[in-house]
Amino acid sequence: MKHRLPPPWQPAMPGRATHATSATGCWAVMTAALVAGLLLPGSAEAYVGPGAGFAFISSFLVLFTTMLAVVASLLIWPFRMLWRALTRRTRAVPKIRRLILVGFDGQDPQLTDRFLSQGKLPNFERLAKMGCYKRLKTTFPSISPVAWSSFSTGSHPARHNIYDFLDRDRRTYLPVLSSTKIGSVDRFLRLGPFQIPLEKPQIRLLRKSKPFWSILGEHNIWSTVLRVPITFPPDRFYGAQLSAMCVPDLLGTQGTFLLFTTRPAQTGFKEGGLRVPVTMQGDRVEGVLEGPENMLRVGSPPLQLPLVVDLDRKSQRATVTLGRETVELALGELSDWVPLTFNAVPGIKVRGIARIMMTEMNGHFSLYMTPIALDPEKPAMPISHPNYYSVYLSKLQGKFSTLGLAEDTWALNEKVIQDEDFWRLSMDIDDERQEMFWSALERLRKGCLVCVFDGTDRIQHMYWRYIDPGHPADDGAQSEHRDAIERLYIKNDKLVGELLDRLQEDDLLMVLSDHGFASFRRGVNLNRWLLDNGYLSLKEGADGAVEWLRGVDWSRTKAYCLGLSGMFFNIKGREEQGIVEPSEVDALKAQIGAKLRGLRDQEHDEVAIVEAFDTSKLYQGPYLENAPEFVIGYNRGYRTSWDCATGVVDAPLFEDNTKAWSGDHCVDPRLVPGVIFCNRPIDAESPALIDIAPTALQQFGITPPKYMDGVPLFADEPGSSR
Amino acid sequence: MATVNSLLGVFFDALLYPFRTLHPMVGLTFVSAIAAVLMLLGYKATSNQPAVEAVKRKIAAGLFEIRLFNDDVVAILRAQRSILRHNLTYIGLNLVPMLFMLVPFVLVVAQLQFHYGYRGLEVGQPTTLRVTVAGATTGEAPEITLEVPAGVRVDSPRVWIPSLQEAAWRIVAETPGAHELRVTVDGQIFTKRLVASGRIERRAPERLAAGFLNQLLYPAEPPLPSGAAVTAIRVDYPSRDVGLFGFETHWLIVFFILSVTIAFALKGRFGVTI
Repeated sequence: MKHRLPPPWQPAMPGRATHATSATGCWAVMTAALVAGLLLPGSAEAYVGPGAGFAFISSFLVLFTTMLAVVASLLIWPFRMLWRALTRRTRAVPKIRRLILVGFDGQDPQLTDRFLSQGKLPNFERLAKMGCYKRLKTTFPSISPVAWSSFSTGSHPARHNIYDFLDRDRRTYLPVLSSTKIGSVDRFLRLGPFQIPLEKPQIRLLRKSKPFWSILGEHNIWSTVLRVPITFPPDRFYGAQLSAMCVPDLLGTQGTFLLFTTRPAQTGFKEGGLRVPVTMQGDRVEGVLEGPENMLRVGSPPLQLPLVVDLDRKSQRATVTLGRETVELALGELSDWVPLTFNAVPGIKVRGIARIMMTEMNGHFSLYMTPIALDPEKPAMPISHPNYYSVYLSKLQGKFSTLGLAEDTWALNEKVIQDEDFWRLSMDIDDERQEMFWSALERLRKGCLVCVFDGTDRIQHMYWRYIDPGHPADDGAQSEHRDAIERLYIKNDKLVGELLDRLQEDDLLMVLSDHGFASFRRGVNLNRWLLDNGYLSLKEGADGAVEWLRGVDWSRTKAYCLGLSGMFFNIKGREEQGIVEPSEVDALKAQIGAKLRGLRDQEHDEVAIVEAFDTSKLYQGPYLENAPEFVIGYNRGYRTSWDCATGVVDAPLFEDNTKAWSGDHCVDPRLVPGVIFCNRPIDAESPALIDIAPTALQQFGITPPKYMDGVPLFADEPGSSR
Repeated sequence: MATVNSLLGVFFDALLYPFRTLHPMVGLTFVSAIAAVLMLLGYKATSNQPAVEAVKRKIAAGLFEIRLFNDDVVAILRAQRSILRHNLTYIGLNLVPMLFMLVPFVLVVAQLQFHYGYRGLEVGQPTTLRVTVAGATTGEAPEITLEVPAGVRVDSPRVWIPSLQEAAWRIVAETPGAHELRVTVDGQIFTKRLVASGRIERRAPERLAAGFLNQLLYPAEPPLPSGAAVTAIRVDYPSRDVGLFGFETHWLIVFFILSVTIAFALKGRFGVTI
């Protein structure tokens, strides 16, 4: 028998080696095999450091977790299926396997026709030939939150309760978000400088009625719903959903960009931005990024991150350090998403993401930061259903914008960024959305996929001035983005083409928009008109130029405007200081309605308001009492003015719109219908957005509930189709 | 190689000197922490961090996918396939840093083995000294003698094992400390260190002939000269186990667990994706 001492990795005494070997057996498979292969033929167990150690630990955990998850899923699967079969409402017999609904927010029929006739949208044309292309009636008012709520619920606003972006607090007359209520925390347990919230802030979706994906879910039909407006907080249903419009930024606003600058502040930004002063000494700039309130400290001071920028003026570059993140940037270069981690207390962090861009560094210094979006990987609020869906998407494709109104229109409006920057930001967001869409489509074997692309809306809002000759916001300067709208339509056409190529038999595809678009040349301040016509009064000596109607004397005011399209009456018993008796409402409606119908802009000799629509005649439903008395039907080229939208009274009745936000759709809804393309001919002659939800249900073999105002677009059942 | 070993030996002797009288876990924890930091820095420098991060995200996405589509068996299996594929990529990405750090870590582990792998001989505890002689087996015992210093006693006559070309003695340390044994074979003198001590210090169970592998794996004493009459001199030391969570186990396992755990704990601070 040949004796040989073991190598040093093994204990020297025979007999003990077995002990060590068995204990290390599993990892030895990984590490020893490599070492043995390379160095020690015969026998080896060696820990060779990070490569093998980390690989082994991580890989083993992954394999173990995967196997566990798969086995658990497969074992539970029969029971889940049984439970679903027992609890489902009906035995629906679907007519289709997959329903794919693609929304291009604001795709305009007139522009679509023009580009189709010019042969620039071959794939839309192909889709139209496969099935149909029609106008799609929008909602009153033709605003995205209203329209998409009607899309999802198949009902008019009086049933889903969304009439505008903003509603008013009936007690204070101040604006509140119409779709979501985010409550505050009032009860804390104080522990020295710290405080522990004793309750969770309530986040509630104010949209009423039931979206069609919830009904599909009740019948065991899966839906993936990506970025459909007014889905924050997300619905709970059988499927997955990523919230969209009205998801706030980390500061709790609907999108506040930041400009860190050494320039002395003249005035603040009118909309959506904050100027943050920084100090510059030589080549170093220092400042502080203030984040959300720290609810865990007494007094809730804002969370902070130090900002340090080291400038290299020679190469026109800088190193930007935000907390622990460091980003190298050239002048004018837009960064990728930068993770921002605020430490609330040791062990608790609040996370956001933002993109930054240095806009000047010679002489003065300015750094633009997009609104700080919630980090999809660790969101501070619920932005998806199930709650890990946003985490999943983030793992799958990296960070993405979670903000409701993701495209930073305000920064371009305030000229903090330029056309090119906004285009880049918007297209990056569009690309993120496309990636989500394709991965969801790939994984959808049966059920419904809904995805809304907002880019069309934002790009048309901001670049319409370039396709409307003589627009007051077009300074005639050279811009590479005069054809931005056309380029985006063509980009969308490409998406449609790829989608058509991936369609399967029994797929039903609808590509649609919630409304069209029109130019926004002139703003109309109806609060001014109400003041001039004696329906609204200011307090003695009050400044009518203050925002949010704070100078209004409510004891002498009968009507007021707030938001983008509504006019409210100050009704006794409804508003806190109401003076209009309910019995007087009809007469007042008739009086004001008659005066507004055909209201002319004398300076331009054009009709500014086509009609003021009495909402009680537009729709019926349980939430009609929350509706404004009128939805104002502006003519093309007109819209509520920027001042009126923010509750400023003392401003011109008509004024030119010189902002980059130069196109809009808050006009007479009859003037801005949307579009619908379908891969099958639809029978309805004049389809409407509210018909989509019942159509979806019908196609999956479910009878639409009676409370839905819309009707299916396909006439394969008696009584359906318009 | 001998120079490297010599330098490493001096370095580790100095590094572990403060811990020589303490429980082995103390020194091992210290060394593991240093190793963890070096691992992280080395891993960061030699691995493709963006690729590692990307593949780990894909693996996590696959795990979420199993949970998300848990009603769809096809989707579950597809997710599993994706995870396995990305796991292989992950292992592949780890090969590069492993190859970079293989040699340095083998050297380090070898040094540690001679500090933590063996217990010292106790006074009065017998052990065996074995000398393997070079050359063809003739069955004849060569001229071979053993001289021991004061404090070491030879407890048996020489035993010659012709089939192994090996001479053996039973020896006993009578006083604690490091002793130098002298073996003379055909007029050539060779030394071997014998340590009789409970402290943590370098102990070499073997002194082997020169050669890359021998020096790589048995670096505690200088190699025997090339062409010498002796190819190996061995002293049997008892192995040492280290207590971890109530279990006695090999020091390497303790080192592995501690160093990897510390590395995982510090990876965020060092900005490393593992």
